[in-house]
Amino acid sequence: MTTASPAVPATGATATKRWRRWLPTPKLIITVGVAGAIGYLALVPLYYLIWGTFFDAKGFSLGGFGRAYGDERVGELIANSLWFAIGAAALSLVVGTALAYLNVRTDVPFKALFFAASIIPLIIPGILYTIAWIFLASPEIGLINKVLEPIFGPGLFDVFTVRGMIWVEGLHLSPIVFLLMVATFRSMDPSLEESALMCGASRWQVFRKITVPLTRPAIVAAVLIMTVRSLESFEVPALLGLQNGIYVFTSRIYFVLRTYPPDLAAAGSLASGLLVIAMVGVAISNIVSRSGKSFQTVTGKGFRPRAMELGRWRPVMGSAIVVYFFLTVVAPLLVLLYTSLLRFYQPPSVAAFKSMSLENYRQLVHLSQAATALKNSLFLGVATATLVMAAMAIAAWIVVRSRIPGRQLVDQFAFVPLVIPGLVLGLALSFVYLRSPVPIYGTIFILLIAYCTRYMPYGMRYAVTSMHQIASELEESAQVSGASWWQTFRRVLLPLLAPGLLAGWIYILVVSFRELSSSILLYSPGNEVLSILIFEQYENGQFTVLSALGVVMVLTLVVLVTVGYKLGAKVGLRQD
Amino acid sequence: MKTATALRALVAGIALTLAVSACGGSPTANNQNTTGGGPTAAEKVYTEIAGLSGKQRRDKLVELAEKEGTLDLYTSMTSDVADVVSGAFMDAFKVDVNVYRAGSETVLQRILQEQGARFHGNDVVETNATELFALNKEGMLAKYEGERRNMVPEAGRFDGWTATRFNLFAPSWNTKAVPAGQQPKSWEELTDPKWDGKLSMEVADYDWYLTLYGYWKKQGKSDADIDKLFADMAKGAKIVKGHTVQGELLSAGQFSVVASNYSYIVERAKLKGAPVDYLPFVQPVIARPNGLGLMKTAKHPAAAMLFADWLLEEGQKLLAKEGLTPAIVEGNDPLKGVQIIPVDVKALLEQGGEWSKRYEKVVSGGEQVADK
Repeated sequence: MTTASPAVPATGATATKRWRRWLPTPKLIITVGVAGAIGYLALVPLYYLIWGTFFDAKGFSLGGFGRAYGDERVGELIANSLWFAIGAAALSLVVGTALAYLNVRTDVPFKALFFAASIIPLIIPGILYTIAWIFLASPEIGLINKVLEPIFGPGLFDVFTVRGMIWVEGLHLSPIVFLLMVATFRSMDPSLEESALMCGASRWQVFRKITVPLTRPAIVAAVLIMTVRSLESFEVPALLGLQNGIYVFTSRIYFVLRTYPPDLAAAGSLASGLLVIAMVGVAISNIVSRSGKSFQTVTGKGFRPRAMELGRWRPVMGSAIVVYFFLTVVAPLLVLLYTSLLRFYQPPSVAAFKSMSLENYRQLVHLSQAATALKNSLFLGVATATLVMAAMAIAAWIVVRSRIPGRQLVDQFAFVPLVIPGLVLGLALSFVYLRSPVPIYGTIFILLIAYCTRYMPYGMRYAVTSMHQIASELEESAQVSGASWWQTFRRVLLPLLAPGLLAGWIYILVVSFRELSSSILLYSPGNEVLSILIFEQYENGQFTVLSALGVVMVLTLVVLVTVGYKLGAKVGLRQD
Repeated sequence: MKTATALRALVAGIALTLAVSACGGSPTANNQNTTGGGPTAAEKVYTEIAGLSGKQRRDKLVELAEKEGTLDLYTSMTSDVADVVSGAFMDAFKVDVNVYRAGSETVLQRILQEQGARFHGNDVVETNATELFALNKEGMLAKYEGERRNMVPEAGRFDGWTATRFNLFAPSWNTKAVPAGQQPKSWEELTDPKWDGKLSMEVADYDWYLTLYGYWKKQGKSDADIDKLFADMAKGAKIVKGHTVQGELLSAGQFSVVASNYSYIVERAKLKGAPVDYLPFVQPVIARPNGLGLMKTAKHPAAAMLFADWLLEEGQKLLAKEGLTPAIVEGNDPLKGVQIIPVDVKALLEQGGEWSKRYEKVVSGGEQVADK
């Protein structure tokens, strides 16, 4: 306990007291430990990246920047990238927020669908999701286009355009926003909205003037992550953009790392550009959220989040959800299911349906290492999600609540890994742990470290956003009642943070199943993970088997996440 | 007071991290010649065995390899082939095979990292030509001699590594979209405007590009002519990342013709009944060797050498059965009468970056490539 009550000085005990003051308290150990771990995880790859960017064999050099940015079409590249990133971020923000609001705060029908709709696009590997959309909306072979052709003529939708890219990327990213906003809305006192309604404001006015401003920290966090993620995304630009010569800025990271020796300086220069954007973003988000109390909706005053009645809008919203569910989940999943039953992809026809079999699933069962990979992925997913969310809960406290000087640094460091290309992270980790006396290289723990590093930024955003909503008066009352810092944290803060932490936990669990770029460099025989199996099937050209694997993964994770969610619903804020 | 302590601890931690990482020197510099001066223990084994031949050599290798008991193989073979190969090797000898499998660039990076830290993770590497060249340049591959190596055509025998199979670049087409007889019959035909919007090119095939460029140059075409040919080919072309996606989209009918896919990818789709073909070959077929190198630092040198001998003998039939093109042809040659030119691997390694940039320009919207 840090705020020790003024003790009456007893002469005999003074020496012991002085001695005890130098004993670290649990608070000190935990906060320093977490801050140290974040610093360590972020600095290892950052150091490697910066060294590679600015130093070559001859010493300091800025040549990488020339090679990275010195393209005659750099203006076009930047324009395409920004248009794509901002578009995808905006789409995912609107869709994710709207869905979260409807789900948590209204009596909209089909709530069970939300859960599936929010998780499944996350689970489907990016490459499969993108290819499913080619099969759906390509002007040449797209199924949706074929269906609509009699009415609108051929090629109504074209997925190979910037708009198509935004559509696919935005939908694929929207679950991150959905999870983030669900947690936020769940911890929001509806009485503020109700008072506004009482005073005669329309529903739209309430949403614009009350709801949105109250959730500003979460919205800023979502925009930040989405923009950086879309700037970095590779699969969608590679599969959809290249076909018509739409180049985005970050496809260049692929080009510069492809050659031998990989041009780390150029890749680092590109990553540094992203780093600057991200740092500015984190700083802005802190300034915006700084206005302290205005976002604290979980206060000492008791409240019960209650659902708002939609009235005549209920059927409208209900059908909107069905449409969304169909577009993001059913259609791509059906394409996968359909492909997984074929010997090779062909447009639906009588012959195609006649040739269907379960052969691909049979092959899947006989895949060597399938069981090991599933086990390893489960271990890594659960361990990463738990470790990251536990540490980030503490880190969020340091950043939002403590007055420790330099606390903003913790926030910045936790965000750094988001901009580090997976391959660079893999190289940095293998460099360090090949030389470490602790035998981590070649074991599954090096993958655990890699995953914790990669997913730290997401965990941090989820935790910080929730922390902003909790008023400090709750902690203060606990401390006044004599609880230690650790007791307060465990018994007061953690349960209140639970919705946000759980959302982050689910997100990390799901995406860690997909991590490939650093896993592939760091795994060893016996430590294979599912994403490597997917990559191998992809390389083998076994799209049909890959689709089967995708279907199985979706089912596995849906079960897993449902269990997690059910367990998680027992803690934290209760709903009616 | 407390906060100051916390800050001090944080700073100390950061400083420690930096100090620890700095101890290893520049993390991104390449460590050349990690083995130092004289021959390594593994190299001594390789030299000793190199003098033997026939049954004597095999018996000796089997005896030593089974004593070693393990083989650590790093490869970029696709997993289905790697599974068959490692399984058959384990059936034939009492040696456990640990396979690390990844894309060729990743295999290279992993070995460079490990060797730089004197961590000897693999005995043998089986991957693409470019990466093997790089490893040999770093001085990590040992000399491998033997009668099986001598049977590999000259275009597949290099310093430090030996070709085990070839990837063949050839145009392929969707038989529903391109009726029999309408398919391209020469590389030049791909520039025909009738393929605009129907032809697909791969975004990273600069090895194919530089070889075809060199071939046309030898045919007496001028640089300007060749640039125009490629520009016409790229005009309206659909650019795809990845040969497997390209193969899949060709089967699905997203485009009608692919300029430079690997023949084995098309062959496999064809075997499954997909409406695709690449025969008769458009000639010359461009072949890119994939091969195998023995590590100087192998912990299991005899197992490594046994694997090399075996892959060039029994293994060749296995590769052929998996639809690949083995390096050693014995008996009936399915490619008899087909003109094959190997990828210019030397140019690939020495001027790879330059060719890669030029190809990037070709595929990015079909602009005219500037003079060299």
